[in-house]
Order: sequence, then structure tokens, then C-alpha cells
Amino acid sequence: MEQEKVFLWRRFTLREAVLLCFCATLIILTRAGLRLHLHMPGHVMFFTMFFFLLARGCVPRLGAATLVGLITSLASILLGMGSGGVITLVKFLLPALVVDLAGLIAPSFVTSLIACATVGVLASLLRAGTNTGVEWLLGIDEEIMLNKAVISAGLNGLWGGLGALAVPAIIRRLRKNGLIDQGASA
Amino acid sequence: MQKRLPKFRSSLRSCDYACQFATNDSPVHRLGAGWKLLFGMVLSALAAGGRNPVTLSVLVAAALAYYLAARLTLADLWRDVRLFAYQAALVIPLYCLIDGVEKGLWPGVRISTQIVLFYLPGAVFLRTTRTSEAMAGLRRIIPYRLSFLVFVSVRFVPVFFSELEDIVALQRMRGARLSPREQLDPRNWPDLFNCLVLPLMVRALKTADEVSRSAEARGFGLYPQRTYLDTSRLAPGAPEGGARETEGQQRPLSAGNF
Repeated sequence: MEQEKVFLWRRFTLREAVLLCFCATLIILTRAGLRLHLHMPGHVMFFTMFFFLLARGCVPRLGAATLVGLITSLASILLGMGSGGVITLVKFLLPALVVDLAGLIAPSFVTSLIACATVGVLASLLRAGTNTGVEWLLGIDEEIMLNKAVISAGLNGLWGGLGALAVPAIIRRLRKNGLIDQGASA
Repeated sequence: MQKRLPKFRSSLRSCDYACQFATNDSPVHRLGAGWKLLFGMVLSALAAGGRNPVTLSVLVAAALAYYLAARLTLADLWRDVRLFAYQAALVIPLYCLIDGVEKGLWPGVRISTQIVLFYLPGAVFLRTTRTSEAMAGLRRIIPYRLSFLVFVSVRFVPVFFSELEDIVALQRMRGARLSPREQLDPRNWPDLFNCLVLPLMVRALKTADEVSRSAEARGFGLYPQRTYLDTSRLAPGAPEGGARETEGQQRPLSAGNF
């Protein structure tokens, strides 16, 4: 059987890289869709965390979620969905790094409901922290900043956790049908 | 045959949503994407550091001049900063409530202004830079393999949107509860994942397989560098060799290094 050539970062084949970039496409699509219909703070994290974790499940290699985060942020800027500039990069990369870190600690965590929910909540909290960081840089009053941060973190965490809960079932079904690899390697 | 009359702008509004690209001919539009990003980053950094009224006034004047130099209207400006205006309407009263009107008014106004100034250069960048220009700029900064993935991601947005529409229509005919109204009820969320996301992922897996096979069949990724066909330079009267955009050690355009 012909072995696939490594395409990116010495770990992803072209097929895997394209699949990860499709996960980024789906994040963008859902972000655009939710932007049009919903006005709830933190709701973006629902599908963002879902696809980050799904990407990690479909391509169980270290850096998979980070690549999705990087592509999503760059594509968001290109498509006019990221007026924050560099902040947009940080907003997507930080939660993605959390997912990859979790994958490093427990390579098969995407099949566990509790692990997925925990990672989803943690990553979403970190994303909410980015906004707080910007406000801290601007010198906003600590009391106001903390109140806002608590509300924002709570909502982001809630949506992120909910999105993450759906991942194990999808991964199991995709594996059962032989559509993705069974194994889990860091 | 009756000639179609040209459409005139009937309102100050030149866009449908915030940060939408505006087709104007302005000095800011002609500026390179890299310069705009650099200028924007400097303005944002200054906004984060500016704490006194004089500095902030100068920065507001500079940001407004930059915005208006792009031939964008005040209506466009409102559309871009509307979200931050709502935030200011919350932040200023909060400051007044905590510190009293006398002490709290200025910090509230300062913070709200700083937030707008921090994000405004990004809005100008998005309003004055075409996706193709941004992409051309991007491929000078990041490796071509990564930029290829970003472009594929952008290119496939309409494809997956169409797939999404088809899957939703078919699954709804089969009785899946996927309408926006039905999806407001969390009890219907399993349908969203089982009847929409799962088929979409299967489609994504198949498409990834096809795209990668197609690209590999064309020899994509064989060389460390690649060339680009810039169709905008193919217009009659373009300088000779203009169609080929070369960077550093790039090879001549051929099917081999697609």
C-alpha cells in the first residue's frame, strides 16, 4: 500500500491538512450564520469548540486543533470577520492550544464526555480571558472589568461546554463506520 | 430597446454590514495591505497607551482622518462602531454609578473611546482591502502550504454552504427538526448533530479525499517554492512577464509545481 507523503509541519498529510482546513471552513460558516441570527454573548464558542474537538478526533495528532485555529483566524480576517486584527489570532489560537494540550496529556480524550466538556469549558474560559486582557491593557476599572469577565467567562464556558458534549458521539459514529482512524496518538 | 438607467446612491449607507469592503478610489485603498496592517497596529497600540484628554483627542482626530481618507461615510462609521457605542452606553453609567458622576464620567468616556480607537484601524483595513489583495499579502508572509490551506478554507465556504442547504432540505423532508424555530428547543439539538453535522462531516471527509488526490495528481507540494498566476496582470497592455509573479527563488510556472 502506498504511504502518504507528509505535507505540513512534518506530521500532517495533504488529506489531513485539507480536512482540518474544512473544519475551519465549517467554523467560519457557523460563525457567519450565528452572527446573522443570534445575539447571545459567547454563543460562537458552541460550534468553535465542537469543531476544534472534532478536528482533534478526526486527525489525532498534536497540532491539529492549533492548525484549525490558525486557519480560522486568518480566514476570518480575510473574510472581514475579525476587526480585532492580531487579537483575532489570539482568540482562536488560545482555545485551540488548550485542546492540543489536552490531547498531549490524554490522547484519547475526545471519546470521553466529561473530558470533552472540561476541555470545552476551559478553552472557552481562556478565550473570554482574551477580551478581559484587552480591557486590562486599556486600563478599564478593575471592578467593572471583573464583573464583565465573570459574566463573559460564564456564558462562553457554558456554550463551549455544550458544544463539546456533542463530540464523543460523533467521533464514535465516524470511527464505527470506518471513516476516521481508530487510534489516538499524540 | 430601452436603456437601463444607472443606479444612483440613494442613501449615505454604502454597505449591508459592519466592516464590509467598500469599492472606493482612495489613498487608503491604494496603500498596500502590509502598510495598512502596520499603521493599524501602531494606531491600536497608541490607543491602548493614550490616557489623557489631549492625547486621546489627537488620536480620535487621526483615526477619523484615516477613516474619512478612505472615502467612507459617517453612516459607515456608525455601522462599524455601533456595537462599541452600545458598550459605552453601559460602561459610562457603570463608572458614574461606582465613582459618582464627577469622578466616573471621564474614565468611562476614556475607556469607551479607547476601545473604539483600538478596533477602528481593523475596520478600516477590512473596508479598504480586497480579499485578493489580503491573500496576496498573506502569501508573502506565511509559507505557501499554509496559505494554500487558508485559501482552500475561504474558497470552500460557498461549497459547504450549498451542501448545508441541501442536507437541511433533504433531512427536513425526512422529518428532522432542523428549522430555526425548532432548533430553539434544546430537545431538538440531537437532530442538528445526527441529521446535519454528521452528514456534513462525511461530506467533508470525502471532499478532503478528492481535493488532496487532485492536488497530488498535479504534483502539488513537490517543491519548497511555488509560482502564482496573477490573472489581474493578464489585461491587454500589461508589461511583458507581468503575468508571472515571482518571489525570490521561485520556479517558472508549470503543471509540475501546482
